[in-house]
Amino acid sequence: MLDDATPLFTQIAQRLAEEIADGALAEGERVPSTNELAAYYRINPATAAKGLGVLTDDGLLEKRRGIGMFVAPGARGRLLDERRRRFTERYVQPLVAEAGRLGIDPDELVALIRQASHTPGGITL
Amino acid sequence: MTTWRIMITIARYHLLQRLLYLVLPWAILAFSFAVNLVISAELPPNTNRSGGLATIYVYVFAGGLLATVRSLPFGLALGVSRRSYYLGTAGLGVVLAAVYGLALTAAQALERATGGWGVTLHFFELSYLLDGPWYLTWLTSFVGLVLLFVHGMWFGLVYRRWNLTGLVAFIAGHISTLLAAALVVTWTHTWAGIGDFFTALSAAGLTGVLAALAAALLAGGFTTIRRVTV
Amino acid sequence: MTATITVSGLTRRYRHHLALDDVGLTVDGPSITGLVGRNGAGKTTLLRIVAAQELPTAGRVLVFGASPIENDAVLRRMVFVREDQTFPDIKVRDALKAASWFHPHWCGELAETLIGEFDLPTDRAIKRLSRGMRSALSIVIGLAARAEVTLFDEPYAGLDAVARRLFYDRLLAEYAEHPRTVLLSTHLIDEVAGLLERVVMIDRGRVVLDAAADDIRGEWTTVSGPSAAVEQLVAGRPTRGRRRIASQESVIVAGALDDIDHLRARELHLRVEPLSLQQVVVQASNPAAEEPNDRTHA
Repeated sequence: MLDDATPLFTQIAQRLAEEIADGALAEGERVPSTNELAAYYRINPATAAKGLGVLTDDGLLEKRRGIGMFVAPGARGRLLDERRRRFTERYVQPLVAEAGRLGIDPDELVALIRQASHTPGGITL
Repeated sequence: MTTWRIMITIARYHLLQRLLYLVLPWAILAFSFAVNLVISAELPPNTNRSGGLATIYVYVFAGGLLATVRSLPFGLALGVSRRSYYLGTAGLGVVLAAVYGLALTAAQALERATGGWGVTLHFFELSYLLDGPWYLTWLTSFVGLVLLFVHGMWFGLVYRRWNLTGLVAFIAGHISTLLAAALVVTWTHTWAGIGDFFTALSAAGLTGVLAALAAALLAGGFTTIRRVTV
Repeated sequence: MTATITVSGLTRRYRHHLALDDVGLTVDGPSITGLVGRNGAGKTTLLRIVAAQELPTAGRVLVFGASPIENDAVLRRMVFVREDQTFPDIKVRDALKAASWFHPHWCGELAETLIGEFDLPTDRAIKRLSRGMRSALSIVIGLAARAEVTLFDEPYAGLDAVARRLFYDRLLAEYAEHPRTVLLSTHLIDEVAGLLERVVMIDRGRVVLDAAADDIRGEWTTVSGPSAAVEQLVAGRPTRGRRRIASQESVIVAGALDDIDHLRARELHLRVEPLSLQQVVVQASNPAAEEPNDRTHA
């Protein structure tokens, strides 16, 4: 379930953040406890707690004493903004760069993207 | 837990092996007794002094041996010190010897009352050693059983600590001690004196000597267990 | 505050070899620490000395601030599950009974549950159990003891993958409910990687790696592809385990790769694979493989 590339607590934080961004965990909803996460991912509870801690520090989760951790109001919006920024950085910029190397000009690129979005299985050049 | 509590718990731990500590010694003794009873019926009166009583002493030795060879590793794994394990085990030996001694004394009394079970069998009575009043029979049996249990424990510990090589050396040590003593006695021409000593020594006196020996063995075993690793 | 376990200058010399060589280690609880290393590296000896079953040649061990040697008060708060435990000639049920007498926090209910899960025949003599069943019995004792210090020395001999999974899951659940200080020696590192907060690696009697598991993860990466491209990416970084075939090359790079590195790797058509904890440990036990850094302009 988890990989070896990054620390486990980071991966836990990322998973939860994704669920919040996808709306699977709604704002105001309770998130799994440390022990629930530990049992599910088969990780040390301290690691799970650290993962939750990352999201709490970012203000995405809030602690309600004695009850548990809940998704903070506005968390989803902030995560989506962050995701859009990352999308540009990770996919759009390399895409444009690679297209440039292959001699595909921006108009052509936009056309290819349009074409791809109409044929979900992929396109052939 | 206090040391006392730990000692009692160690004794209970050993007694989980009911067969070894409670059943087998008496089963074997009963078998030996039954055989002797049959033989005695065929023999002329007062001639059967088989020494079959020795089986129970042998079994008590084996009990002490197994308590250290076989039961020690798991005993220490349960979270007790070597000292507590040793004291608890030796304590069990003392209690068993006291109870066994009592049973042997009762059997001897019964043997006397029934004229040797009707066939003049002297199974629980040994001339010189075990032919005095009941309390001396008990005391001598008790000391003898403790001696063998403790000796068995030390054998087991030596095996645990130094394996077979150690055990062979240990037995060799026993033999050389006896030989050395014999040599000293021979050189100093005191054999007659030794003879006199034992003749003069009553069964009670001998019991005292055995008790001193048991105490020495107990101390020896203790120094060994402190160095045992499992 | 004193640490739960403090080991300092610990040396154990046997006639022909040095099992432990000046080992130092501090373990604070509650925590789960993995003690890893090859067979014969000294893991078992270290645990045996911590449990006072073995005696040190030099150095010392403190548990709860006191030496465990001949110390009933300390020993009572520990449980040591070892691979090769010798049992007296008793039944499974009797062994559990004995354990319940000695361990102050013993949980009989948990023991019953675990016996059911591991399918242990309580009426059978221990000497008639299979190797795996004996391991399961030791594991049941180790978990049900709920001892403040719980030492497991490769406790899974003869257990299949399903039973090992069960052990890891129960250990985790128990630890979550009743936190304690767990030291787990193992060479099946990837199986337990997620459980560990910390990894201590012993090699030839010495501690060669002692780090938070999360610090190790992602610290080493295998980069492979065309030699020239590999050289370009790893230039100036410490590398190990270089392997070559024709114009292809694969090398292990130390230090985490950042987003820029990943971007460059993609541009250079290189494959980048992080090393698992197990692979990191293999690297750490092989310091001779460390290479000087002067081949980058080749």
